Amino acid sequence: ALVMTELMQPDSRRCTYFFLYDGSKVKGEGDLTREGICYFYPEETPLDEQELLCGQLAGAGRCVSELSSSPVCVLRLRRNKFAIRMKDDFFWALGCPVEVPTISVCELLDQLINLFRFYNGSVRRSYQLNRPETLASRWAQYLSHLQSGSSDLHHIFSCLRTIDATNIDPLLLLKAALILQACQRCPLVSAGCVLFRGRVVSTQISPELTMKVMVHESETYTKGPRCNDPGTFNSFGGAVSSTTVFLTRSSLAKFLPFSKTRLSRTLSNTPSTESEPSDAFSSPSFSRRLSDSSVFSPDPSQSGADPTPQQPDPPFSNGEPSPEAEEEVPEESNYESFHSNGNGVSQMHNEAGGSLFGEDSRLNGGGGDGDAARGPVFDFRGAEESRDHNVFEEVSGGGCGNVQGRGAESPDPARSDDSPLIPMTLYLHRVKGLVLALLVEPCFLSDTDSMEEVYHSSLASLNGLEAHLRTVSPGASGPQGPYLFAHFDCVQSTLTTNLSARPGGALQRPFVRATSLLHSHFCNTETLQEAIIRSAGAAVYGTRSVAQETYFQQHGGSLRNSGIPNHQDSAFSLPGKARHRLLKHGVNLI
Amino acid sequence: MKCLLIASESAEVLFHWTDPEFQQNVQKQYGASQEDGQGLPAFEDSISTLFAPIIISCITMVDRLRDSYTSFTTENHHIYVLHQFDECLYIAVNGDGEEGECDLRRKIYVVKKMTEVLFGMVTLSSNLLRKELRPQDTEQRARLWKHLQSLLQTYGHLRENDQSFLVEAVERLIHPTLCEQCIEFLERRLVQQLNSSGERAGEEVMHAFILVHTKLLAFYSSRNASSLSTSDLLVLIIMAQNMYPSNTDSDDPNPEVENDRRTSGSGPESFYTPEPSPPPDRGSSSSGGFCGRCCSVYSYLVSHLSFAFAKLEKRLSEGQEGSAATRGQRTIHEVRGKLDKFIKALGPTEIQVCWIEFKNLAFTRGGPGFSRHLIPSCKKMKTQLCAVYRQCFLLESGSSSIPQRLSPGLQERAQSMVQEKLMDWKDFLLVKSRRNITMDFPGLIHFICVDRSTGQMIAPSLNLTERNTSELGKGPLAQFIRRKVWTLVNTTRRYLQKGYSTVTFRDGDFYFCYFLWFENETGFKLEAGDLPVLSDDSAPIGMLAWDYYRKLLRYYSKSHQGEVVKCYELLTVHLGVVPAEIILQHCRQLASKLWEPSRNPLL
Repeated sequence: ALVMTELMQPDSRRCTYFFLYDGSKVKGEGDLTREGICYFYPEETPLDEQELLCGQLAGAGRCVSELSSSPVCVLRLRRNKFAIRMKDDFFWALGCPVEVPTISVCELLDQLINLFRFYNGSVRRSYQLNRPETLASRWAQYLSHLQSGSSDLHHIFSCLRTIDATNIDPLLLLKAALILQACQRCPLVSAGCVLFRGRVVSTQISPELTMKVMVHESETYTKGPRCNDPGTFNSFGGAVSSTTVFLTRSSLAKFLPFSKTRLSRTLSNTPSTESEPSDAFSSPSFSRRLSDSSVFSPDPSQSGADPTPQQPDPPFSNGEPSPEAEEEVPEESNYESFHSNGNGVSQMHNEAGGSLFGEDSRLNGGGGDGDAARGPVFDFRGAEESRDHNVFEEVSGGGCGNVQGRGAESPDPARSDDSPLIPMTLYLHRVKGLVLALLVEPCFLSDTDSMEEVYHSSLASLNGLEAHLRTVSPGASGPQGPYLFAHFDCVQSTLTTNLSARPGGALQRPFVRATSLLHSHFCNTETLQEAIIRSAGAAVYGTRSVAQETYFQQHGGSLRNSGIPNHQDSAFSLPGKARHRLLKHGVNLI
Repeated sequence: MKCLLIASESAEVLFHWTDPEFQQNVQKQYGASQEDGQGLPAFEDSISTLFAPIIISCITMVDRLRDSYTSFTTENHHIYVLHQFDECLYIAVNGDGEEGECDLRRKIYVVKKMTEVLFGMVTLSSNLLRKELRPQDTEQRARLWKHLQSLLQTYGHLRENDQSFLVEAVERLIHPTLCEQCIEFLERRLVQQLNSSGERAGEEVMHAFILVHTKLLAFYSSRNASSLSTSDLLVLIIMAQNMYPSNTDSDDPNPEVENDRRTSGSGPESFYTPEPSPPPDRGSSSSGGFCGRCCSVYSYLVSHLSFAFAKLEKRLSEGQEGSAATRGQRTIHEVRGKLDKFIKALGPTEIQVCWIEFKNLAFTRGGPGFSRHLIPSCKKMKTQLCAVYRQCFLLESGSSSIPQRLSPGLQERAQSMVQEKLMDWKDFLLVKSRRNITMDFPGLIHFICVDRSTGQMIAPSLNLTERNTSELGKGPLAQFIRRKVWTLVNTTRRYLQKGYSTVTFRDGDFYFCYFLWFENETGFKLEAGDLPVLSDDSAPIGMLAWDYYRKLLRYYSKSHQGEVVKCYELLTVHLGVVPAEIILQHCRQLASKLWEPSRNPLL
């Protein structure tokens, strides 16, 4: 019972400063610096200090950028380090204490900017259309979301928060995945995820996108259903809400062909007549799909191995792309293929009409695949788009043994503010703590039939799933064991660890510190496979493959030694111990 | 694309060095608006203009936020490292990927060390540094800058190519018999002859040593000389290399080059006895009325006092009038008596006036005491002490502005004596300097072993372009290993900075190990204690510009009172297929074998 033990450390805010400064507002001699400050965190900072930081950092940053003909991306002071993004006249700076790895600071800033763009679209346009105070509250909201309830380890890896899968019947995870797949039968639904109390149960979309979706989820959860909210639909008892979101072409391209392809394959193999649910599950095609697809095994060697989409199916009978959407991205081939892709709506309706996921439906065939027990189900294959892609980009630039810094300089989607954003709709269906989040075509909201279809087909399953998840005792941690470990899955962006925030947190600090250093080193040195580092207090072993990073520290033992090379030294038995001990946590290092 | 500059607190550029690429880059940006053919002044102007906003912003940040920039990184991987030493700001830039942030920070420390070796404690005050680095006479300034730039370039070259400058420890040629003979020769013949010569004009040779390329064959210090630190010795080797560069790493494998070198370049001429120019914190001069031991005590006192005032000034200007400033206050109290005595010995000078003024302000009842009002007086004392140091312990630089102590005639005589002495050994030494040590551990590719207590290192050669190839041979594999070794040293320093004394990596097809440990004099291994954890922008780990290991030993010795503590480091590179136990066995054997007394005669 160690997956994602809650590590609430209210004081461990990693961000010390964050600001967005608009240089275009401060061009003339008489212009005051304060006019350019769009948002400044902490908000209680005296205005003259805000002006000082914005003015000096932006000024020095611009000067360096001119000298090097390239924007500044990291700026360090003695006491704080800042990730910087410069775009047009905007200057973003996010400051953290110097102990936080540079790469993590940069990731946090990118996440923040990307979050803003996801919910608001282009930053420039947002500031033209909205009052700065409104947008300031949004920055504050996103920042607080990114910082809330995470441990130091989460900060290091920027990972997703997932449910503790060790206490959960794997069938529940499978069920969540099936709910998502059923929703995809509506051609206006692209992909989605199922969340429970701010944690991921199952997702079809990339970790980055899932993280973004979770912000809105947590917001609606805190506020509770508001019937006067324009995004809330009274017809569904206030349980359903929606908001407009903006996706970059690349993030759209990454999940669209894949999810639709899967859908079409499933549908084409499924009998089109109305059938009993059990038939659908026991049909050979379905079980094969479960076992031979990579749904449950995020093996990177498989990811991307199937990039060719299926032949486009005959065009929609009644699902013409909306004209607005067409205007937004006239040349977007993926987008078009998505629009023209799909199956007959009538067929879909027939399919979804049955009580496919009724409470008592049992799975047979390959449904109980043991892999599902590993953790939350990730229906996500675009490994190459996830973190590790970034990591390798970074490494190629800086494999020079310069442990710090280099890695943070890779080009990042956050900087491509000019890439066109495609509006979509985020649809949320809440059943108490459980949320079904779907990315849908904007026209979905006006298509009452589709909406009702999706709502009713999933309602019973969601209720059942919620009832089950609610009964699972949260975070009843088992024995800790005489060791500490952290296992980071780079593809799914998830973390498994036995660290706790309970008393004894101080004992874990050497482990966290070593992990932070080693993680930076792994990020900067592509060829590095494993490392053992020892200080007087702790010896920590780190190892990584393309898809994962694992860190291990054994408690006790004879740490007291001279530090001279000695093959009987316990530090060198760490790799063997890690292999042995972590097997029972589902971590295979062999 | 590289640049290094020193700026004063009024944003004046006191010194700069740029490589041609950086110069082109600047000219491309500002060339259009500049008159062509203006040469140096025009370029200097554009450099000042370009950096001024950064320098001013840095000063503003210190003044108002008590924090300052330590680095910038751009998306195209240009790195700017900034460091403030007292009143001066140093900026180092790299845009070609050859230097990382730590390399740039190290370079800044090295340039500071060089200026101190050349001019004494001028780095404490921007006024003093300005006086030295920006002489009014443009021709003199150009000559001086060229000299300093050339020293920096020599240093850069050595750091990139010479293992002893990679780890910042002196490499000795291991040949006990010859070493002993040479020390005897230096003592009985060379130094004696020079010191008894009429030409010496009051100068006295304190230290003499013989180098073969950068490797130390023999070292002699006279009885009344203060000891020469590793840091100073390394700087002297850089100076010797700057005067007589060895072509050991020329990229041209042409055999003729080899012959050329034998007859002209780095052949016998490399047996050069550098002039014992006084290192910054040791005195050997007879001017100013002090001499010998007495002088070195006073020079230490003066530098100590200057630092005390610099510290106090800093604390007061940071607004720490209360408890924090008292730390500085205590130091001033402690040195009060010493300073009284010293100033009395100097006789009536300007510093006496300043000291009385300071005492009146600081120690008089009802006076302002240790508050902001003391800052100007503090500054004056610091500047005065630095000037006294300069006057008493360093020669006023003559017309050349490059200190030259022994007369050319004496230098020539010394050189020919050494050449004559070592004529028979020449070929042997040249080979030996390239194959200093061999290894016989299957699977072991390379190692470096450093004794940090004495500042000496041993490693198999990695010289690739010699006709006598290294242990690894030459070509891409050797080049690859060399790069790995350089990276490894940087990486392990990073971990050491954070308190990790044992580090092993599996990287590609190789397995790397690093160990740091302590022993007492009898070779007994001492328990590994907590090592200090330093910040990212702390002084670079090494012995050249800032002696990390001396501080480490002092820190560690606190828990081992009454014992002489020694500190060792070992780095190894093995093939990845070798089992870990074997690798560790090799490491253990190397660690115990290399510093056996028989193999490593003491100085």
